[in-house]
Parts: sequence; C-alpha cells; structure tokens
Amino acid sequence: MKRLQTCLWPILLLPMLAFGGHRMDMDSMVMNENPMTLPEGCQKIAGDQKITVHAGRKHAKKFPGVVFAYDQQSWDVDPCTRLTVHFVNDDDIRHQFMVHGLPEKTYPEGMFTIEVSGPGEETASFILPPYKKTYLVHCDIAQHTEHGMKAQIKVAGGDKDLASLPGLTKPVRPDRYPTVWNTQSVIFLVLALAGGLVLVWGGRWLFKAMSD
Amino acid sequence: MNVIRFFYLLGIAISLTLAWIFFPGPRTEAGARAPSTVKWVPSLDDTEEFCQFDHPEWRKAQTIEGVEIEEDPQCKPDNPYLVASVVKGTDRVTMPTLMKTRLAMDAVVKKDDRDGDGDPDVIHIKLEVAELNGSTPDGDFFIPGYRIAPGLTPGIWVFAPKMRGMATVDAVNLDANRMLRAPSPPIRVEQGDTVYLTLENSHYLPHTIHLHGVDHPYTRADGQGNDGVPVTSEKMLMPGQKRTYEIKPRQPGTMLYHCHVQTDKHMLMGLQGMFIVEENRPNNWLQTFNIGAGKVRHRSQANRKQFDQEYDLHYQSLDKERYQPIQAYNDPRLVAKGMNRDYNITDSNENFFLLNGEAFPYTLRDSLVVVEPEQRIRLRVANGHPHTLGLHFHGHKTTAISADGVPLDAPVTRDVHGLAPAQRLDLVLDTHDDGLHSFGEGAWLMHDHAEKSVTSDGLGPGGNIGLVVYRKYLDQNGFPKLQGMDPVPFFNRWFYQKQVPVWARSEEWAIFADAAPLPPNTIRVIISGVFLGLALGLLVALWRHWRKGQ
Repeated sequence: MKRLQTCLWPILLLPMLAFGGHRMDMDSMVMNENPMTLPEGCQKIAGDQKITVHAGRKHAKKFPGVVFAYDQQSWDVDPCTRLTVHFVNDDDIRHQFMVHGLPEKTYPEGMFTIEVSGPGEETASFILPPYKKTYLVHCDIAQHTEHGMKAQIKVAGGDKDLASLPGLTKPVRPDRYPTVWNTQSVIFLVLALAGGLVLVWGGRWLFKAMSD
Repeated sequence: MNVIRFFYLLGIAISLTLAWIFFPGPRTEAGARAPSTVKWVPSLDDTEEFCQFDHPEWRKAQTIEGVEIEEDPQCKPDNPYLVASVVKGTDRVTMPTLMKTRLAMDAVVKKDDRDGDGDPDVIHIKLEVAELNGSTPDGDFFIPGYRIAPGLTPGIWVFAPKMRGMATVDAVNLDANRMLRAPSPPIRVEQGDTVYLTLENSHYLPHTIHLHGVDHPYTRADGQGNDGVPVTSEKMLMPGQKRTYEIKPRQPGTMLYHCHVQTDKHMLMGLQGMFIVEENRPNNWLQTFNIGAGKVRHRSQANRKQFDQEYDLHYQSLDKERYQPIQAYNDPRLVAKGMNRDYNITDSNENFFLLNGEAFPYTLRDSLVVVEPEQRIRLRVANGHPHTLGLHFHGHKTTAISADGVPLDAPVTRDVHGLAPAQRLDLVLDTHDDGLHSFGEGAWLMHDHAEKSVTSDGLGPGGNIGLVVYRKYLDQNGFPKLQGMDPVPFFNRWFYQKQVPVWARSEEWAIFADAAPLPPNTIRVIISGVFLGLALGLLVALWRHWRKGQ
C-alpha cells in the first residue's frame, strides 16, 4: 500500500503543476506564459522570434565590478512578436529572466518570468505588445539586479535605454572610486594653470587697450 | 604705499576677528522667561498601526494537509502553510499549499524512513544567502527593504530557505517578502537523521557554513571539507556556486550554524542561525525551518511530551560601521575593501540589538512569549552578540537545563542568565505562580541587561526588549495590553531617527518635550554685523587703493 501511494503521488500532483500560464517543477518555473493570447492593440501575431539567453557568473567577468550577468543586455523585437525565450542557467544557483511593464490585462502584475533552479534550461513564449516601449528584464533574486543581471527588450526601437545595464548604460547612482593623480592629470593641471594666467594677462591687456 | 596697505589688511583682520567673537553661538541664553514648549503631534502618515497584519486567520490552531499547527495568538504569527510545507517537505505538499509560501519545491526534501518509525530520516535542506537593505545603482534607496523598527533599515545578511520568485513583496513594493527576514531561520533535524545541507551562494561575496556544536565529520564521504572553515577545511564558496554539507548528528541539543568567512564581519552581519537537533522519537515530523524564530508551531514529539510550548529566541546585534559599505557601494571590490580593511572591529561598537531579527517595538508584533498560567515552556536561547548576553526576565526566574546542547547536571534557576558569545541555553519558563518561578500574571519584560541592548543606536526604549505576556494581557489583535507610556511615538518613523522628543505625548509630560529655539542675541547680532561691514568696507577701500596705484 505504501509503495502504491508513493507511485501515485507524482501522478496526483501532476495536474496541479501547470495552470493559468504557470508551470513549476523541481528544476524550473514559468509564470504568465502566453503563446496565444494577443495583447490589446495586436491584430495578429506579427512573427516569431527566438532568443537564447545565458545567465551566470561567467558572463559578468568581462565587466569589472559586476558579479552576475546575462550574456546579452539588450534585444530588439518587432511589435506583436511572439518571443520564445530559451533561458540557460550556467550557475549552480537560481536565476530568473523576468520581464516587467507588460499590459496587466494579459499578464498579471505586468510580468513574464522564467526561473531556473540551478544548472539547466527552460523555454517559454510570450507575445509583446504593439507599442514602442522598452521593457525591463532582470533577475529579482536579492541583489542580482544590483550586481549586473539586468537587461532590456526594445519593441519598435524602444522609448529609452534603461540605466545600469552592464557595459551599455550608466548607473543612476554610480559608485565613487579612490582618486589617483597620474602624469596626464598633472600635465592637464599645469596646462590649465597656464591657461588661467594667460586669461588674467589677456584680460589686463584688453582692459588697458580699451582704456587707451 | 605698502604701509597703508598693511594697515588696511590689519584693519580687515581685526574687524573679522571681532565679528567672529561677537557672532551669536549655537545656543542662546534666555531672559527671565524660558522659551515655550514645542508641541509634537505624530503625523498619521509617519506613524504605523501597532498591528498591521493581513492574515488574522493564521493565528488560530489548524490542521493543514494533516500537519497539526499550534495556535499563535500574537499579532504576526508564522504562515501556517509554510509550517505545513516544511514539516511534510516542499516536494510532498500540494501545489495550492506551496503556492501560499515563497518556498522552492526543493527547499526541504524528506524521504526514506530507514528505521521504520514513521518519519523520514534522510533530509535535504537548501539555503540561499540574501542581503537586506543593500544599495542599488538605480537610485537612493535600499533593496530589498527590511525595517527592524519604524524608520530603521540597517544592512543585514541572512541565510534563507531556497525560495522561488521575487525577493521583494511585488513589483511595486520593494520591501523584502515575508520569508526573507532576519534572523537566519532556526533549522530542526532529528537525532540520527542523515542531513544534506546545501548552501547555494546567491550572494555576491564568498560564504561557507560552519555547523557550530553540531556533530559533523571533518570531511564528507568524498573527502571534501565539511567544517566550513576557509583556512583549514575548504575553499570559500564563490558567488553562483553550491556546496553540500553532510551530517548525521548523534547528540540532540541547541546548536548554531554560521558563515565562517571573515567571521567578525559575515557572522555578525547576520549569517548565523540556530540549529536544533531533536531527540529521536517515533513519528517525529519536525518543523525544519522556523522563519523569524519565535514560537515553534509544530513541535517535536519529545517536546510535546515534556513541555506546553516551545520558543526560539535569537539575540544578535549590528554595527553601523560594519554594514556601511553595503549601503554605500555596489561594486563588490569597494564593499570587500570597506569591510575587510577599512572596518576594524576592535575600534567599533554595536548600534542595533535584535531579538529574532527585529528591535522594539516590532518585537511586540511577533516575538512575544505568550503564556497561560501553570505552563512549562521551553525557551531555546542563542547569543549571537559579540558581547555577553545577560538575559533577564521580569516576574520570573527561569531554569537553565542545558548549555550548548549538553544537559546540565544541576539545573540553575536565576533571573539573569549569562550567555557568552555564540553560547546557547535551554531555559524552562515555569508559569506556576509560586513567588519563585513566576510572580503571577502580567505583561512582563524580557531583555538583555547589558543596558545598551535595550536601545536602538542609543535611543530607548528599543533594542531587544521583548515580553512574556500572559494571555489575559493580550488584546484581540494579538498586541499586548500596555498600561504605561503611550506607544504611538515608538511607531513613528522619526522617533528612532532621534528627530522627536522621547517624552512628549501628554500635557503633563510637556515639561520634558523640546523647548522652542530662541532668536540670537540682538546686541551680538548688531556688533558682529558692524564689524563684518567694517571689514567689507576696508576690503573695498584696499581694492580701490590698489587700482589707483596701478
């Protein structure tokens, strides 16, 4: 009887693992998957686009001071495109591909999420709205966005570039590093000093010339 | 010519000196009548309700998926669905139950009843590392936000059960979700269980786990280090990596787990939690995690037999200088330098003192010890401070029955129990009103008697003040009935920022409120102004004189 219960357990559980665009198992989770429902303003699916996104520590190594990153920080997508995201987690910990700002009528809380629980991969699709807009993509595990796992999807060219994208855009609140004077800085200072003197003497000369 | 200029300069210097001497100071003498009192009325926008909680139904005793969960009548009890999930195992509860928590499906996996006594004996536990109130390159705020008291957001690190989904409440509210909080949660396993404790390092700095006092082999079965010490046992676990510690504890008791990387920083930033090995009993399904510590809502078989209730009490403290780098910088190189080289623990002092991850008055919401008369309650106490904890109970003398997981030959009954740093005591709180163990019913204070610990950054009442509350002193929202000072100011966000008076909430107490500031002394203003004007006039005259000389 105990063995029968053990065998039946996963079968009883299975129907509960996928509902309403959500699916989840030990290895991954998808929320608000939407391969069919058109967002408001889209007459039809304009086309299909597939991207493979790698996430992990190794993709941050090319950016000094960044710990976690995706292998790409920006994607361009046409309006009403069905975007299929193949998300590959190259670390031993959780990472997410979480999109914000989508229309809440179609996507609860305006989000689409793929989470991969450890080394592994997951694929899911969603349809982008018709408007020219930039959507935030990030990993919402504590301090992952802040340490580099942040990107953007630009629909129809996007309406802006987001801040703090590794290698692409400046942070809103940049770090301040120790200052060290090098030869170039000293030369610039001396030249600027000389420039200031020239300005004074030039001004005096001009003043005298005008007085005469 | 030069002599005249010298006298101009001398005049300017004398005038400026006299202007400075006569300039009004920061404090002004009152005349015959002292200034009036500034009345402070806490703004509703800046003042929290005593008990803000959206799930009052969680307080009652209930059975979820066959797991019996004890009543917890205080304001903010633990999520009973989470309790059920960690008792049964996150892979065994139904999806609707698991979805009412933020736990990952593989956070707690229980299997193999090897001794046939009705409970699982192979336990897989997964932990992550989270930073609370860290800085962000996206603006001047901390994320995920976590308040230890109204208006107080120190930087903290915690071990957290493996989760799923967002770290924050939602996309709009950037506070940490309910499960992501201090202290690192107490973990319970059974004596003789084979436990695989996996650390998935989701933080941006290296960490390890040292199982302090827990019976564990120095190396795992595969020869890898198992003691969590970066110098002797193993390499530090880098960001993005995971490591599993393997144990089969033979002795029960209250122990600790903590990060052993730069312990003066990492352990004291909050990477420390209680690790409790329960006695082996039949059908002993344990509450693997006790989020936020406090009341254990599903107790072990041995505990149910011997006691009426069980509470975990974790004391710890935070140093402003220690956590400053994580709130000032994003770049991990700057954080590492700030913590490892600029910060010096031998020159520092602790500023914030926490009971179960929060300071007074938040301790009144979910760290009460709620009792009935004539009960015996087991309190498992851990001292996570870097100083000795002198734990004092008003109205009671508790009995220490075990220290560092070892039963005491002669139990000690006292009203102050001393705990060295990292020490644990198992105390029995006996509420029989006999004039020794209990003095009767009330809302009795319980706190560290090292007096700085009852303040938050020097402002009291704050810190690790908690209460032993008899049931009849608890209101229907689970908040203690207080008969003393009006607690409204404590819930005002400016109170612990030291922006408002500590005593000011009644006409009678207006004598202790802030006095209105006075205008500067008029004669001093005039004299100082005259000399400043004189200096300015002499400066202009000097300039004109210099121009004439050209």
